[in-house]
Amino acid sequence: MANNVCVLGSGSTKYGRLNESIIDIALNASADAIDSAGITPKDIKACYISNVFGVSDKQVHMAPVIMSNLGVPFVPGLTIESACGSGSVMFREAFANIAAGFYDCILGVGVEKITQTGTLQSTTLFSYCSDFFYEGGNGASFPGLFASIARSYLTKYKATEEDLACVAVKNHENGILNPKAHVRKKITIEDVLNSPVVASPLKLYDCCPFSDGASAVILCSEDFAIRSGRPYVQVVGSGRGASPAAVHAREDITTIPSTKAAANQAYKMAGITPKDIDFAEVHDCFTIAEIIDIEDLGFFEKGTAARAVAEGVTARSGEIPINPSGGLKSKGHPIGATGIGQVVEVFEQLTGKAGERTIKDAELALTHNFGATGASAAVHIFKRVE
Amino acid sequence: MDPPQARQEQQGRNPREMFIVAARRHRLLSNKCSRCGHLMLPTIYYCEKCFNRKFESFEIEGTGKVVTYTIQAVSPEGFEDIGSYAWVVFAVDGTNFSVSGCLPGIRSSSDLPIGSRIKVSDYHPKHGLILQKV
Repeated sequence: MANNVCVLGSGSTKYGRLNESIIDIALNASADAIDSAGITPKDIKACYISNVFGVSDKQVHMAPVIMSNLGVPFVPGLTIESACGSGSVMFREAFANIAAGFYDCILGVGVEKITQTGTLQSTTLFSYCSDFFYEGGNGASFPGLFASIARSYLTKYKATEEDLACVAVKNHENGILNPKAHVRKKITIEDVLNSPVVASPLKLYDCCPFSDGASAVILCSEDFAIRSGRPYVQVVGSGRGASPAAVHAREDITTIPSTKAAANQAYKMAGITPKDIDFAEVHDCFTIAEIIDIEDLGFFEKGTAARAVAEGVTARSGEIPINPSGGLKSKGHPIGATGIGQVVEVFEQLTGKAGERTIKDAELALTHNFGATGASAAVHIFKRVE
Repeated sequence: MDPPQARQEQQGRNPREMFIVAARRHRLLSNKCSRCGHLMLPTIYYCEKCFNRKFESFEIEGTGKVVTYTIQAVSPEGFEDIGSYAWVVFAVDGTNFSVSGCLPGIRSSSDLPIGSRIKVSDYHPKHGLILQKV
């Protein structure tokens, strides 16, 4: 890499059902990130947006609109779409452009506004992120696709629906401490098991909510960060991976190849192993996803993560805390924003701004975010800078 | 003439259309690589093993065993009129690939143990590849 890449500032709206337009949501998060970094819009050399369903709120081609409303209409930008993994894929592209020396300061904004469409239309829109000819077009919803993955996992590894419920209970406990979280509600295993079936074997509390929201970060070169005199976090690892688009095309339905590939690249770049990570924000769109993620990321052997979650190993006070923000499950899942929201959490954690959620003495953190059923994924590793 | 266009004209239909035509005859269309013999779904344009792009297309029995499935409470638009159904991944007999489709009439997991035998029965304009239990 030509340049070390850092995160200098972050901002996020609350996740949930928001009344503002998609542009106002994006601008609110952007302005908070700019203020957090101690810069002004004139310092920004490019704007990267991640978004999937802007068309449903009557706005695509967002970068020029956002930059115009930040008072810098001549700053170039673009939108990147990779389904639910859009944010991390966008972060990776912004990272690469800073590393390559094209820019020294980029605003990365993830945004989604979807709740105005209602459950049926949202379910339909999300199904367009699948391999539609074989999946959405044959009646699969996203909960349905992950439910089919869950059924395979439960069958192969003799895990239980109660094991899955433990993921939801843990992430809701974390989300209560996050003022930006969509669903701040303590739940029990019984609540999960007794909630309505959405797609068997997954129930309502196994599923993340449809959320609106935006998250933004300021990425910059290390020289820029040092000159600012502000606290920053260094990006020490970055990886991208891909998997067959359709679930039926995967050799093993209980693993996500894109996660493994992205993680291996990121660990190699950072020169570390999974054991070195102090906490992780992972893509828990459904409880089964978190179980599979933390195995594919190398934190647990295949088939053992469900038991580890039930035993508290992934709790905030556990050996490897997973999703201290509350994750997609509790914090919410505005799909274009989610990958950047994970970076916001890591930035707050590693710069002492996470309040009650703080993972004590954390030095290295990992973010993992994927698109669709893991057809695309990105992993990043961040290091505290004293 | 570029190769994709040539292929379409030679066969008269694009691979997805041919897949649909075969499904309406209760069959699955498969492609066999002319170089290495690898069997694949016909919607894949290059051999997954050797990247050759010449295939022998042929229809196979659309039968197989259920690998996994789900039954959904909320389905995408267009499926409101089908009643309870399972979205199913099944391993296709005589091949090394799986495919997925819609199996109407499934209400609970007791209706469809993993490993159940199923077959292709139709291709519906709104509901896609329709399966039935054997």
